[in-house]
Amino acid sequence: MGTRRYILSKVLQALLTLAFVMVFNFFLFRVIPGDPAALLLRGTAAFNPENVERVTHELGLDKPLPQQFLVYAQDTFTLNFGDSFFLKGQDVKTVIADRIWPTLLLVATSTLASAALGLLIGIYSGWRHGSRFDVGAQGFTLFVYSMPEFWFGILVLMAFAGGIGPFPSLFPAGGYATPGADLSGLGHAADVLNHLALPWFVLVVAYMGEYSLIMRNSLIDVMNDDFVMTARAKGVREKQILWRHVVPNAMLPTFTVVLLSLGFIFGGAITVEYVFSYPGLGLLTVQAIDSKDFPLLQGLFLLFSAAVIIANLVADILYSQLDPRVRAG
Amino acid sequence: MKKRKAFRLGITLMLAGAFVSAVLAQAAYAQDTTGATGATSQSDDQKVVFTWAGTGEPDSLNPMTGYSATEFYFWTASLHLLVDFNADFGPEEPDPKFDGFNSGLVTDIQVSDDSMHYTYTIRDDLFWSDGEPVTADDVAYTLNLYKNNHAYLPVGYTTLIDGEVTAPDATHVEFDTTEPTGLYNGDSPYIYAYILPKHIFEQTERGVCPGQPEGERCSPKAYSYVPQVGSGPFVMAEYKVGEFVRMERNPYWPGPKPAIDEIIYRIYKNDDAIATALQTGEIDFGYVTTANIFNTLKNADNVDTMVGSIPSFSEIAMNSGSAYEKAEGAFTPHGDGHPALADPVVRQAIRMAIDSEQLNQQVLLGYGVPGDTLVPPVSVEGARWEPTGADKLGPSIDGAKQLLEDAGYVDSDGDGIREMPAGSPDPGRPLDFRYYVRTSEQTSVDAAPFVSEWLQQIGIKTEVTAVNSAKLTDIINAGEYELSSWGWYPDPDPASILSYFTCDQRPPDGSTYGNNDAYYCNPEYDKLYQEQLGQTDANARWDIVHQMQKIFYEDSPYAIMWYDPVFSAWRADRFTGYIPQPQPNGDPLEGWGGISEVWLSLHPVAGSAGGSGAETKGISPAVWGIVAGVIVLLIAVFVIRRRRAADEDV
Repeated sequence: MGTRRYILSKVLQALLTLAFVMVFNFFLFRVIPGDPAALLLRGTAAFNPENVERVTHELGLDKPLPQQFLVYAQDTFTLNFGDSFFLKGQDVKTVIADRIWPTLLLVATSTLASAALGLLIGIYSGWRHGSRFDVGAQGFTLFVYSMPEFWFGILVLMAFAGGIGPFPSLFPAGGYATPGADLSGLGHAADVLNHLALPWFVLVVAYMGEYSLIMRNSLIDVMNDDFVMTARAKGVREKQILWRHVVPNAMLPTFTVVLLSLGFIFGGAITVEYVFSYPGLGLLTVQAIDSKDFPLLQGLFLLFSAAVIIANLVADILYSQLDPRVRAG
Repeated sequence: MKKRKAFRLGITLMLAGAFVSAVLAQAAYAQDTTGATGATSQSDDQKVVFTWAGTGEPDSLNPMTGYSATEFYFWTASLHLLVDFNADFGPEEPDPKFDGFNSGLVTDIQVSDDSMHYTYTIRDDLFWSDGEPVTADDVAYTLNLYKNNHAYLPVGYTTLIDGEVTAPDATHVEFDTTEPTGLYNGDSPYIYAYILPKHIFEQTERGVCPGQPEGERCSPKAYSYVPQVGSGPFVMAEYKVGEFVRMERNPYWPGPKPAIDEIIYRIYKNDDAIATALQTGEIDFGYVTTANIFNTLKNADNVDTMVGSIPSFSEIAMNSGSAYEKAEGAFTPHGDGHPALADPVVRQAIRMAIDSEQLNQQVLLGYGVPGDTLVPPVSVEGARWEPTGADKLGPSIDGAKQLLEDAGYVDSDGDGIREMPAGSPDPGRPLDFRYYVRTSEQTSVDAAPFVSEWLQQIGIKTEVTAVNSAKLTDIINAGEYELSSWGWYPDPDPASILSYFTCDQRPPDGSTYGNNDAYYCNPEYDKLYQEQLGQTDANARWDIVHQMQKIFYEDSPYAIMWYDPVFSAWRADRFTGYIPQPQPNGDPLEGWGGISEVWLSLHPVAGSAGGSGAETKGISPAVWGIVAGVIVLLIAVFVIRRRRAADEDV
């Protein structure tokens, strides 16, 4: 299959998946039990059947499903998701846009950093497997991989925000930036970094184990391949064998994992966002689910799905460039 | 050789770059912080910022649609009520002399002899934050807006108003009621509805929401109301969802000048973060929800704490007959609740078995108040009835057993679970109940094992399931439960909480919401509810309200477990002037009122510049610059070494 044809077929598949997600998106949130109008009015003096009906009408939920779907489809194509039910008066697009940057800053950078660190540990660990470094690194990565992020986050919060015992109180306890601080330029950037530091650290430590373990195992597999023995027989230096022959081949499965992880970055990191009160898309999703906020859920779900589909597409295309066998098969 | 030179040059340049960027960053930071609003230094142009925190997110900052406890703190600083609450939930005496504290809008109330026509005199010395005067026109417009647009909370206070509210001149408001009533005569701060600026909300009715981007859907209910035009000493200037609400001074506030320039509410998602932020001085005041965290704060340096009582309770609702009550009005029988709970004797036995004092000790570590009736101990004076002596249902396991035994609920097969008696709707059916608690309410989860154990002791089996609020609402609406745990924040005036348990408030059809989540229906209770609405004498009204509470307690559709405590803590070295509501131990930020005096009385403690809000915490830009430089350097060294190795290999 030619490169262009391969890419076209992958793009078409991605578009079809996206179309399916769009339809699914509409029905999914309407089959979840619960009446948003009722939730909205619980505990208010305005509750009575007429008002429930009125609110149902205001939310557009009294129209027949096909009609609701047509409105939804039209709005989705124009990226108009309407107003959030519970963040009243706020446009879904704006609500999501406000959270995208903090999410990217936290999850994307920590994913990349944890991948870089994890891969390095995995490479050296696999290359010297059985060594003291390997045993230590494996123990460490297994420990951080299995450690609950929430628990680790609370410990880091208490140690480096609260300052316990020998640990200094270095960073803020939560949030994205200091409200009302009136900073700009580098001052603002430093303030954001100070708020980012602890959740970022927790995510990097928590995620690096996964990459390290995959890379190590993949590297050990490749090291047993014939071409490595051939290189050694030819007298190629060990470091050259590692970096020019073993690592590029061992990277293929790890590369897929990293790219797919990047697809999930919009989903945020709910537990860490919760511990550090970080205003990311993960927490927003929880809030939207709790309040059955259909428009917001639809917007978020579409964004998450699109991100994963695009990451998949990019992975497919890059993979075909890295390994031509994929294209051929 | 050339390559090595290039490598060294690259490293040197990068090191120099890192150093220069660090120096520049330090200089820029110094420049930035010169104009910052840090409140711990004393220069003239620096603001005093009061930063408080909680875990609650405002539902809406617009009184048309807001209803959760959090947003009230912003309204108490920015909007007026007609009759303000005093610190003990009673009415502030209308007072034409303005001192900024006793600051309800009404200075005089005239009531016709038949108690059906009301004339309010409105003060003429207040201004909205955009300079417009506050007039009777604003009051009339707001009450009509609430009534005609079915504002979520305030509409309830306008139901007895007949027709439109009018403003014959700039200082008088008039309206009629559909029946004689004592609710609007100022004896109680019944109209808990904040007065809005007509010139702003009129625009929203035309689809123009000031401050909102054009093209966004706009209506009085869809309006975000930020930035706010308000009449109090502070107005909301900024709201970042999930992060903070910032309030600034109203430049046209004619009352005493507040000692603080800005109020910032920070939203944390958990108590641990609030406790940490308080101990390190990031915030000045915080509410926490768990007794354990509160206990740690009690021993913290420079932190003062208070456990207060507020109008709030947590209950176990019993499905009193969703499937067995007769169809009436919109209500049709639905669900599959156990028929035993339609019998008041079984409900009384459950109430009797639940030891509220034990729950308070075990779940709230003794900080709450054991619960009994619908009207909490902190309410408008005179409204509460308290069961004593023979009226009191337990706690007594033996008493509960005896009640069930006498009513014929016996354990005939010896499995420890009682069965329905002969002649009942379902003879022989074991008393095996579904008991739902809310995942979002840890105390309801913590209480469940105790309640289950007590019920087990009296021969009732329970199966406890934790679900989220949305799911539990569905379960209750469908009538598919026996016991469910939830809670309420009643108004200080009991009218609204009592109204929730009239027959017409039951979920009507299995899928529609109703406030009456116990499916309680007692025509005598309903009759008394209407009577108290029409009662013009306060004492006579309280008599009826007491009767209603007694009936509700005896019928026991609710087992009220406890009245919730409010845990607050603040930096003792920052601000003083908190006003607990009610006195002496209540909510230190006086969450009921308009305008609450606390926002004017809070001031920095002697020798302190006050708040911490605008202070940044963390490492400086220079250090970040160095960190960034080192990271870039490490990456560069790594890449260059890899390339060199590759080149040498070729």
